[in-house]
Amino acid sequence: MIALQKTTPLSTDYLESLGFVWHTDSDESPYVADELVVISEAEAEAYYEAANTLYDMFVEAAEHVIENNLFHEIGIPFNLVELIKESWENDVHWHLYGRFDLAGGIDGKPIKLLEFNADTPTALFETAVVQWAILKQNSMEETAQFNALYEALLDNFKRLVTLDEDVSDFESRYEGWKFLFTSIRGNSEEENTVRLLQHIATEAGYATQFAYIDEIEFSAEEGIFYNEENYELWFKLIPWEDIALEESDLAMLLTNIIKNQKAIIFNPAYTLLFQSKGMLKILWDLYPDHPLLLQSSFEPLNGKKQVEKPIFGREGGNVAIIDTDNSVIEQVTGDYSSHKMVYQAYTELPTDQKGLSYQAGVFYAYEACALGFRKGGKILDNMSKFVGHIVR
Amino acid sequence: MKYINRLSTIAAATGLGALLATGITGCSSSTQQEAQQPKGAFVIIEETAPGKYKIKDEFPADETRIVLKELDGKERVLTKEEMDKLVKEEAAKIDNGTSVLTQQNPEVSQGMGLGSVLLSSIAGAMIGSWIGNKLFGNQNYQNNRKAGYKSPQTYQRSKKSFNKPRKSTTKRSGFFGGKKSSTRSGGFFGG
Repeated sequence: MIALQKTTPLSTDYLESLGFVWHTDSDESPYVADELVVISEAEAEAYYEAANTLYDMFVEAAEHVIENNLFHEIGIPFNLVELIKESWENDVHWHLYGRFDLAGGIDGKPIKLLEFNADTPTALFETAVVQWAILKQNSMEETAQFNALYEALLDNFKRLVTLDEDVSDFESRYEGWKFLFTSIRGNSEEENTVRLLQHIATEAGYATQFAYIDEIEFSAEEGIFYNEENYELWFKLIPWEDIALEESDLAMLLTNIIKNQKAIIFNPAYTLLFQSKGMLKILWDLYPDHPLLLQSSFEPLNGKKQVEKPIFGREGGNVAIIDTDNSVIEQVTGDYSSHKMVYQAYTELPTDQKGLSYQAGVFYAYEACALGFRKGGKILDNMSKFVGHIVR
Repeated sequence: MKYINRLSTIAAATGLGALLATGITGCSSSTQQEAQQPKGAFVIIEETAPGKYKIKDEFPADETRIVLKELDGKERVLTKEEMDKLVKEEAAKIDNGTSVLTQQNPEVSQGMGLGSVLLSSIAGAMIGSWIGNKLFGNQNYQNNRKAGYKSPQTYQRSKKSFNKPRKSTTKRSGFFGGKKSSTRSGGFFGG
């Protein structure tokens, strides 16, 4: 059973003053729980180690995919392959941050990788800011959090210039390259997530600007422009696969912009390799029976309780839990039924007294740096809640 | 482990404390509004009478070049040193009030001295930007600099070409217009 500690929730006015406007779900219930998950320092440490280990494994697996040309197998759109290779080969295409979704890790249950949100991870604001503000408001001065997301991002932004663990010479090496931050118009959660990143980048020392994607001009020869200003660095909270499938002209332009070295894009295109759930199968091939992995396959697993999920699904869409006798235990509808499916062995998530399931999200920015939880039903969908934590 | 933080340490170490107090929605970037200016100008200055000059043409360019057409038909490109010297001399005149640029209704129909004409041009404005407000905020200057141009058409054409956004036909925009993607939750599953 998960140990929880009751807190006084932050007022919606205060959350809105922070820029956190998605505090209420469509059924009018609060999105942020008024409880914190209580974990031990050893448990926090284990999450930290697990995410670091998994990242190294993903890097190995990506190399394997590229060397063996397995792009099609893991569902990578053909029009991004060149861009992925380009971005993989050069250090300047630095991975800013990602989030591992993990099962287990508390209650003595082993940590297992569910997936890696490497391209466009959300829950950033909740993890970096909101759960910390809850501690502060509740005067938990003596308690701690596995949460250095803000400072880890600050340093990792600087690394885009230093390309090294050491960021101390950022100021002397930064040549004024401008950083444009982008989301799609009309989604306040995404926009404010991006604005938080922009805020951190500005604090790191960059000249920054925000623009919606439809306002930006792209030129294969000249690069990325907003209001006639050229931006050498571009962060987009827009999935690469959406660019490939919905705006193929943009995919082509971006490929040429990268080849002409006119801009650097974050997160880099190769993070789509990490993002593909097809990688779960590749990882299992490379590291069979690894303690952090669940058996995964492109074919249904014979006689096993398992989860079927689309290679690039979101919000739990088209995810199904299938029992040993092939009957469907639970299923969420969605837009991804035409995707290639991955089958992953089922693992029980830790639960609370009410029977709600908890999934850990561990952020990675150069190294594992923060933890947050989501709770919901057996399949966590877009009605799941964010739950902060304290380390005791 | 270095990434387990206590309240006091994180608020002191980063801007998170300030962020918690102020939020980010009202955060406007100080670098937001930089003047939109071309990088340089190509200017052709013509001598219209001995020692009197007018701008024959000018257009945006990557580098600043000033071509001088003298009365005897000779053409030459001003050196950087010449330009700097002219601007400096004109700046001194502005300071002591003898520059035609800052006088009310000066007699300039024949043209102006080379330094005045140069400062009337866009290139002059770029080279002499250090002169700052004492020139560019001056209404007489704004009126007089038109006189530095060979014809009103030249002046208008120049103004137009420098105000025109540097649009390239190869640039494309409007991607994802009206479309909504969703990145929330990244698509995890529980179970």
